[in-house]
Amino acid sequence: MAPANQRVSRSGTDQHVFMKQVRAALGRGRTAEPPSSPVVDADLVRLARTGDDLMTLFAANAELSGMTVERTPESQIEACMMAWLTELGAKSIVMGFSDAERSAAIEGRLREAGFDIVEWRGEGGLAAMFEVDVGITDVHAALAESGTLVCCADECHSRSLSLVPPAHLAVVRQRDILPDMIDYWAFAGSKSPEMRTSSISFITGPSKTADIEGKLITGVHGPGRVHILLVD
Amino acid sequence: MSTATTAHSATAPLTAHGHEILFPPLPYDINPRADSAVSNPDGQKPIHASTSGKDATRKKVCGEVFGEDYDTIRGLAGEIKQHALDHLDHYLEQFVDRAAAAGVQVHFAATGDEANAICVDIARRNDCRLCVKSKSMVTEETQLLPALAHAGIETIETDLGEFILQLDNDVPSHIVQPMIHKNRASVGRTFERELGVPYTDDPNRLVSIAHDYLRQKYLHADMGISGGNFLVAETGSLVICTNEGNGRLCTSVPPIHVAFVGIEKLVPRLEHLNVLLKLLARSSTGQPLTVYTHIMTGPQRGVEPDGPRQMHVILVDNGRSRILESETRELLRCIRCGACLNACPVYRNIGGHSYGAVYSGPIGALITPLFRGLANFKDLPHASSLCGACYVACPVKINIPKYLIHLRERMVDGGLSTLGDRLFHRVWGWSLRYPLTYRLGGWLQKIQFRRLARRNGSLTPNKPSPRAAYECRGWVTKLSGKFSGWTSQRDMPSPTPQSFRHWWRKREAGHGE
Repeated sequence: MAPANQRVSRSGTDQHVFMKQVRAALGRGRTAEPPSSPVVDADLVRLARTGDDLMTLFAANAELSGMTVERTPESQIEACMMAWLTELGAKSIVMGFSDAERSAAIEGRLREAGFDIVEWRGEGGLAAMFEVDVGITDVHAALAESGTLVCCADECHSRSLSLVPPAHLAVVRQRDILPDMIDYWAFAGSKSPEMRTSSISFITGPSKTADIEGKLITGVHGPGRVHILLVD
Repeated sequence: MSTATTAHSATAPLTAHGHEILFPPLPYDINPRADSAVSNPDGQKPIHASTSGKDATRKKVCGEVFGEDYDTIRGLAGEIKQHALDHLDHYLEQFVDRAAAAGVQVHFAATGDEANAICVDIARRNDCRLCVKSKSMVTEETQLLPALAHAGIETIETDLGEFILQLDNDVPSHIVQPMIHKNRASVGRTFERELGVPYTDDPNRLVSIAHDYLRQKYLHADMGISGGNFLVAETGSLVICTNEGNGRLCTSVPPIHVAFVGIEKLVPRLEHLNVLLKLLARSSTGQPLTVYTHIMTGPQRGVEPDGPRQMHVILVDNGRSRILESETRELLRCIRCGACLNACPVYRNIGGHSYGAVYSGPIGALITPLFRGLANFKDLPHASSLCGACYVACPVKINIPKYLIHLRERMVDGGLSTLGDRLFHRVWGWSLRYPLTYRLGGWLQKIQFRRLARRNGSLTPNKPSPRAAYECRGWVTKLSGKFSGWTSQRDMPSPTPQSFRHWWRKREAGHGE
């Protein structure tokens, strides 16, 4: 039987030979269609539900993981951002938002206030990302059960925005919050049948290590500070 | 070697080549390393503290979050992995198709050497000089770093623990906490020696030194290497779970990403990830999820601003199909959370390096002999008291004690046990079969052990009250011959004058306490 998609590298084993070994181990000569895979009982797995107070649950779990959360109305977003950036001593910023209009408005306000908004698209953009103080993004979704931010790569968001700068400021709106990870696949799937992005990151806390004598230290490679503006 | 400058207390002395710790001469004898570990309390302390702490956290967190469903959800996780393994041919083919459709170049490595050769090939074709690497047990198994070095390619481990081990020419001793056997002072000395920075033993300073050193490497690296926690068949996705962020950096910043993944990592659908992810980090460190769970489906796409331009997945067999073949398939469910290591009283006392292989602890005691030959690792299936703590801790319900016994049986059936052993066990087995011989054996043992305890003065004569009679016991400090191992590291309590059966009979008759 010919493998559906044969890719042979110069080293390594031919897919056909490799698969033959696996099938032999399973005691068959041809690949068999499996019975349906185990059903995930949502009632068993689910740790948060639609009826729960998701804003509060999300905020509590996010704080538990070491992120900081500030609740604010839409109109106060810029003011909150500037206060936090000032407190952090941040000067240079990279930004990525889905809503171009809103993004331009925020960018304008921050520039007026004297912050340096760095262009990260195009040649040299990635290197620039390593020099800035803060990455500001919205999120694709957020999970209440674990206090998780979901950041995806798309035309408005690079993988690096929430990863390379030493601090990450995330804007989370009420409509972004899903109860449980189980809801995310349905939510992401409803937009398109396949994976529409090459990169989905579930972020639950600031970068952490406990490798040296079990002592918890933040900010080892990724952002050491993650601040969430939770918009009511 | 100067023991004053290293903290390798829980292991045999470091050799010039650190990887000999994981790849010792065969057949492997566990005793020298285990002996040196148990006679070194200073080395045992940090391992004890860390593993028992993590084990307690797992119990607490899983108890609180899952409550009565803990066992059921572990069962479901085990069922998902078992289903994927039972139909691995189908899911592998599905993964290969979907990943290729997303632009991933999939490679097949029957052995570790092949996997390394594929990686070296990719590096050469793309003229790579510098690689950054995140933590991967499979690359330890294939000995990737020496292979890349041999090809003239510099590779830097970026996981903090692995980075320190690499500088020290040392190797991991725990699946999740690679440098559980090292302390802050030894890290300070390593940085002073290898990076030329002033000595400090402040963990915050040490982390920031490593951060500064590694940060620029990501940007200049030609290739990023990672492992993989899961592969999703329906989407062709690779999932890695990390806390530090180096995993995301290695797979996002350099222009080429190469992932080494064992074929047992497949799950059928994204939905199944829910179940496994909810258990993985909680079983490992007590976190709800690792800080970063990164799901990658192919290289950078047209509209995306960044990401690697090539993504390669090397599917590694390296002995896995052998385990898949036999009654041992269940062992491939393992998601490498480390919970069985943390729960194991033997691991806590002898440390990871005593297992003489990449995978240590209860799961290592099973898969190492299967990967590398039962005759080469005869001690490992016996390096357990069969207490079952590992089974209770396992998030995918691998019945570890059952398989330890299974391997012991295989050794007997395969003629790998000595004649003396077989004879001894035959007699022992026979004596346990009949009440009369069992009682006779117990009585003889009691007489002999109490005689030994009396001789060394630890046993004083019986006192009259029944309670005192129960407590009236001494210590056997030295046994000889085949039994010497029982007392070489600790004393053994002598039996009480009254046996449990005797006490029970009296109690039933209304005379006991």
